[in-house]
Formats: sequence, C-alpha cells, structure tokens
Amino acid sequence: MKDLTHSADAATVEEALAADNHQGVVDSEGATALAMQNTLLTPRFYTTDFDEMDAIDVSGVREDWDKLIDQMKSDPNKGHFKKNEDWDQIDWDGMEPKLKAEFIDFLVSSCTAEFSGCVLYKEMKRRGNNEDIVTLFQLMARDEARHAGFINDALREAGISVNLGFLTQKKKYTYFRPKFIYYATYLSEKIGYARYITIYRHLEANPEHRFHPIFKWFREWCNDEFSHGEAFALLMKTDPKLTSGVNVLWIKFFLTAVYATMYVRDHQRPAFHKALGVDPDWYAHEVFTKTSTISKQVFPITLDIDHPRWQKGLEALQRANVDLADAKKTGNVFKRLSASTRAAIAFVGLFTIPAVKHQVPASTRLEPAY
Amino acid sequence: MGWLTKDFETAPCEVEVSHCFDSLHAHVKFLNGAVINPGDEVQVQGPPVMAPYGEVVREQRIARISRASKLEQLWTRMTGDFEFMELCEFSFSDEITPEPVPGRAPATHKEGLPA
Repeated sequence: MKDLTHSADAATVEEALAADNHQGVVDSEGATALAMQNTLLTPRFYTTDFDEMDAIDVSGVREDWDKLIDQMKSDPNKGHFKKNEDWDQIDWDGMEPKLKAEFIDFLVSSCTAEFSGCVLYKEMKRRGNNEDIVTLFQLMARDEARHAGFINDALREAGISVNLGFLTQKKKYTYFRPKFIYYATYLSEKIGYARYITIYRHLEANPEHRFHPIFKWFREWCNDEFSHGEAFALLMKTDPKLTSGVNVLWIKFFLTAVYATMYVRDHQRPAFHKALGVDPDWYAHEVFTKTSTISKQVFPITLDIDHPRWQKGLEALQRANVDLADAKKTGNVFKRLSASTRAAIAFVGLFTIPAVKHQVPASTRLEPAY
Repeated sequence: MGWLTKDFETAPCEVEVSHCFDSLHAHVKFLNGAVINPGDEVQVQGPPVMAPYGEVVREQRIARISRASKLEQLWTRMTGDFEFMELCEFSFSDEITPEPVPGRAPATHKEGLPA
C-alpha cells in the first residue's frame, strides 16, 4: 500500500509536478528545471572494422549461440525493471552529504556505462550486415538502454536529471579494433555481473545495510550482464587466434587494467562502501575471484591475485592516483609528473606478475551461479 | 582527404532521443548513407534535441561531419583502443559539479581512462 505519490512514478510532467514529493515546486517547467540538477551524459562514440565483424562465422558454436539468442529474445527480464512495493521511498535530503555525493556518482557512472554500451552496440547493429551479429547487438542495446532508464529513474528521485542533449555537441568518433571490443566488453560485462551479484548477496545477508532499494534489483540486472558476456565468450570461441599467441598478452593487459581501475575507483568512494558495510579490499578480492573463475571459460590465463606483489601493487597505484588527483587540483606540475610515474611503475609491476595458465574447456557456456 | 587537412560535409539525419523508463537512449541515423570513420567529428545542427521524461522524440536534422585528416585517422586508430575503460561501470569520471541554474551550461560527466 502506497499512500504518497512520487514524481518518479509519474507518466507525464503534469503528474510528476502534482506528485507529493514535488510540494513546494510551482507549476512551471522552469521551476522543475531549477529543482533538478542537470547532468549532461557524454558517452563516447565508436567505429570499428565492420567488415571484420561481418566476417565472423558462428557456425562452430551454432547450437550454443542459437540457444543464447533465443533466451535473450524471450526477454526473461522484461517487466523486471519496474518499481513495485519493494521500492522503498528514500529520504534523499536526510542522507549524509558525502554518502549522497558518492552514491549519485555511482549511479551516474553506472548510467553512463550502460548508455555507452547502448551507443556502441547500436552502432554495431546499424553498420553490420551479418545477421547473427546484428541480432545480438540489437538485443544487447535493448538491455543497456533499459538499465540506463532504470538508473535514470533512481537519479530523478534524487533530483538529478540526465541531459541527453549531447548530440548537438561536437563529438568525435574513436576507434576500437574488433578484438579489443570483445576483450573489453566481455570483461566489463562479466566483472559487472560479479560486482552486482557480490553486493546483492552481501545485502541479502545484511539487509540493514541496504540504504537504497535499487540494490534489490541487482540480481536480475546482473543476469543480463552475464548473458552479454556469454555472447562475447562465444564470439571469441569462433576464432582460436583471439585467445592465443600474442593476444594472450593483450588479454592480460585488459584483465590488469580493468581490475586495477576497479580497485582504484572503488577506493574513491569510502562513504558508499561504509554505508554498504563492505570493505573495498574484501570486495575487490571477491569480485576478482569470481571474474577470474568465470573468465576461465574462454581466457587461457587468469591473473595471480594471491601473489604477494598483487595487493601491494594495487595499493601503490591507489596512492599514486590520490596524489595525482591532488596535484591536478593544485596545479603542481612536479607532483603530477612524479605521481604519474609512480602510477605507471605500479601498473607495470602488476602487469609483470606471472599469470596463471590453464586449459580452456571445450564447451564455453556457463550459467550464473553466484 | 589530405594528410593534414580536414574536410567538412553535411548530411541529413534522424535523431531519436528516448527519455523513458523502459529505455534511455539517443541515436543519430544518417539518411544519405554517410559513413563515419575513426577521428571524424559529428555535430547535429540546431538546438539540443530534448525529450521530456516519458517521451521519445524523433527529429530530422542536418549533421555537420568534419572528416579527420589522414594523420588524425591513423592516430585515432592507434590510440582509440585505450578508451575502452568507459564501458565499465566503475570507470573514472571527472567530479560532478551540477549546475542547478537553468540556462547555464549543465555539468558534464566525462568518462575515460585514469590519467
């Protein structure tokens, strides 16, 4: 039973303005704009070698491929991203300011990432000619746009309006080699799954830390991420060269860059993690462990995250990054140079830890198990 | 296209902006089959295409495409790969400093690799 209406549930601007949480806001659009903080999304735009992508032949993994595509087409999560009685009202004004800032930053980053994925996938869909590939990218673009819409809605409740006016700004198209799209998106989808499910399970066991209802939706959400990752795993399986020879070094580079970025970035949100009751070091190790286990389905190596140099390297990178941010703020060129050098050394240190090799299974497909 | 010079052209396009609960997206489709290459810049002409919450807006516009020089294209091909990190939800971002005053430039949220 819900007695109060909320602007986030409204279908029209009029309804939103009439909602109970908008008391005090007068009826003009200007007033709505004034009440909402405006955040312009600035996704990147990509091109790639579309001929190379069109040349992909999934016949070697046809059975698994068709099953996955059928499952995505059946859209099991349609209707999941709706707010129901589980969506508790949040007292945004009463939220501790630092937590609020970090949480909003988390939501905006997530929304931008979903949005960027949507832009990338849509571009692939539009410019590709290979029916299998085009279908996959269309389905993934659908999911990403849906996730972005859901996060956007949570942001609106917090008084943040996402501005999609970026198209009339000059935007440059950057370039991704197809294989880098596979490595990067595969990893971002799988690590996304591991991150969401780890938080979900933690909050299931410790519900008193669930300070926002959006976390209740993380399980189905991350199942979408999981399937997207599965599709990329199958794509990589179509060409053994993608996961052998010099490409193994690229895989190692992507693994190191993604893990290290996550570590550094999460340590920038101490209040957010404290509110969740999560130690960011524990969280990082959990997520890396899960991602490594999953990525064995297609990558012939995993990073040795239990190596004594691993944690030390991450901490050094994190300290260098804090100093770098500080130097940028104060404009201290020497400090900036020294911090950048330290960050680079720390990264090379992490990259040179010997990887763990293993046999990749013949059958690729996995189901979400955490 | 020269090694160092940029060319410009215009193309009719359809802009679709969806600001719905079900789907938050914004896309540009060129109606004359124009193809974008690495390093090219695209700007849709006219005022921002804004969709109110709960609506999908489709508009025909003109886009100005500035073609990258050969050198820039090569550079983008070589370096673009390293911008992949923004696909991750935990990607780096500049600090958000929202502007609550209408009419002023909105805060941007830029993604990219750690510097």
